[in-house]
Amino acid sequence: MSGTGIASAAADAYPVGSRWTTLPADTWWICWRELKRLWGQKIRIFMTLIQPLIWLALMGNMFQRIAAIPGFPARSYLDYMAPGIVTMVTLFGGIFGGLGIVWDRRLGYLQKLLAAPISRTAVVTGKMLAIAVQTAFQALVIFALALAMGVHFAAGVAGVPVLLLLAVLLSQVFAGISLCLGAVLTSHEALMAVVNFLTMPLMFTSNAMMPLDMMPAWLAKLAVLNPLSYAINPMRSLFLTGWDWAGLARGLVVLALSGLIMTAAASSLFRRSMA
Amino acid sequence: MTGEAIVETEELTKRYAGGTLAVDRVSFQVKAGEVFGFLGPNGAGKTTTIMMLTTLIRPTSGRATVCGRDVVASPHWVRQQLGYVSQDVAVDESLTGWENLYLQGRLYHLEPAVLRQRVGELLATVELEEPAHRPVATYSGGMRKRLDIAAGLIHRPRLLFLDEPTLGLDIQTRSRIWEYIRRMRDEHGVTVFLTTHYMEEADRLCDRVAIIDHGRIVALDTPAALKQALGGDLVTIRLAHPGPVPGGVGGGRPPLDRPAGDGQQAGHEAGHEALKALAAEMARLPLVESVQPGADSTVQLVVREGERATPVLLDFLSSRRVRVESVALKRPTLDDVFLRYTGRQLRDDEGAAAYHRMARAVRRVRG
Repeated sequence: MSGTGIASAAADAYPVGSRWTTLPADTWWICWRELKRLWGQKIRIFMTLIQPLIWLALMGNMFQRIAAIPGFPARSYLDYMAPGIVTMVTLFGGIFGGLGIVWDRRLGYLQKLLAAPISRTAVVTGKMLAIAVQTAFQALVIFALALAMGVHFAAGVAGVPVLLLLAVLLSQVFAGISLCLGAVLTSHEALMAVVNFLTMPLMFTSNAMMPLDMMPAWLAKLAVLNPLSYAINPMRSLFLTGWDWAGLARGLVVLALSGLIMTAAASSLFRRSMA
Repeated sequence: MTGEAIVETEELTKRYAGGTLAVDRVSFQVKAGEVFGFLGPNGAGKTTTIMMLTTLIRPTSGRATVCGRDVVASPHWVRQQLGYVSQDVAVDESLTGWENLYLQGRLYHLEPAVLRQRVGELLATVELEEPAHRPVATYSGGMRKRLDIAAGLIHRPRLLFLDEPTLGLDIQTRSRIWEYIRRMRDEHGVTVFLTTHYMEEADRLCDRVAIIDHGRIVALDTPAALKQALGGDLVTIRLAHPGPVPGGVGGGRPPLDRPAGDGQQAGHEAGHEALKALAAEMARLPLVESVQPGADSTVQLVVREGERATPVLLDFLSSRRVRVESVALKRPTLDDVFLRYTGRQLRDDEGAAAYHRMARAVRRVRG
């Protein structure tokens, strides 16, 4: 058997295919790995469930009397806070979710992935998809807990998938940011420092915990630039008043576009980091 | 199927952003069906070369083709042809052994039915059937490495890159992995490109070895030829008798049988003369390159083809009725070869391992 014979046989056996045609499948299998990993670490699942529960119980009670302030837009602080908890959990899940890529690089797993004939973009989109699945699951759990604690959901059953969609889109923005950082910063310590620096200001410059018109003017201006606000406003409407179509459309469009931009940025930075 | 080049490089060069010249104008060919080794100390440029050939980093200049295509022009195609097992044991700890292999196969776009069968076969090959459904976190270092190698074979590549396949493994696991590598080549015709800083590994496993130091190939040939270039094997013969006494009187009696006193000194002198005469005769025997009579009734010879030369020497000595107390045949090792070409000895294993971890950490930071 001549060498060229082997070459053509191999080419026949493994369809060459362009990088883009395998993107959906590659994305799914990268995501499959992430979900399997998560499933294997039951303690992680447990913590992602227990954390929102504590927040709901603690913050709901602690800030109970804020709702009594004249002009506060909800009948109880818990009603007001529930969408805030959903976005908060989404923020943390998203922004920490992409950091695993730094470990993959350290452990040599990333090189192994990149030596395989997969789409380079799939390494990014696969991780983002896993974060989306995780976020949807968490949001659903928080929603159920909130209902059990007496929170009122004005939009009804049809509002639930919309709530989850908003959470998922938001998670993609932060997952994208996280993966961008992971592509640029290869030291885990530096990465943690930057992420911790980002999360708290993101929380407090949004209306997750306070209505915009109760904030100082400068903070309210910052909140308009914060992607969190674009998820919280429509979510809050779903909880408090029902269907606010204009706000909902604006939120979905802004989040979807930001998510796409962050995906593109992460893929591009990531490709460059491997050159 | 051995013969034509499956890997070919021309003046392949990598200079890292920091200015380090890791690989410096390296040109070589790997022939289909051979086990080809890159031997050199840590930091010599072995891994950088592999990473260029596996499309993980881009060469600064020069050219490399793998399975006939340029690695820079057709990276995707090249990736489909080759298997890559890095020096990091890159298996996912939280997945089971089976899941690791299944995922790897999916990333090479194998059909599920074919893949399931192959996962089973490979688990059997690397003797991991029993723990297949346990998380890899419970595996020993040797088991992980075997799984990692199996993952590199999931798509039946024609060419397998093994970067330091036995680094840090115990002797038993090491010889097991050598066995797999030989079988892959013999039974499946896989061409193997491996790097190592273990002389013994290169010597026992490789058909041809390139010795690399400071990013340059300093020698490239079969292990035997590289050693041959040193001049041959070293034979040391210790005689039980200082030498044949002319006329054969007293031949065959060991020195201890000689009377004590002045006679011993005289006998010793005479014995040394006889040894020199014997050495001169041995120098004319076939395969013998040079002879050096030494102290203590020993003769050192440099010979070609030590195994064949040794019986010739012994026959000659017995025909001269000289009794031999011991004979040692030492073949030059690749250690001697490395020393000869680089002027340095390879660092010992312990130090090398520590150095290696450091070098790896540095490379990761570089990304």
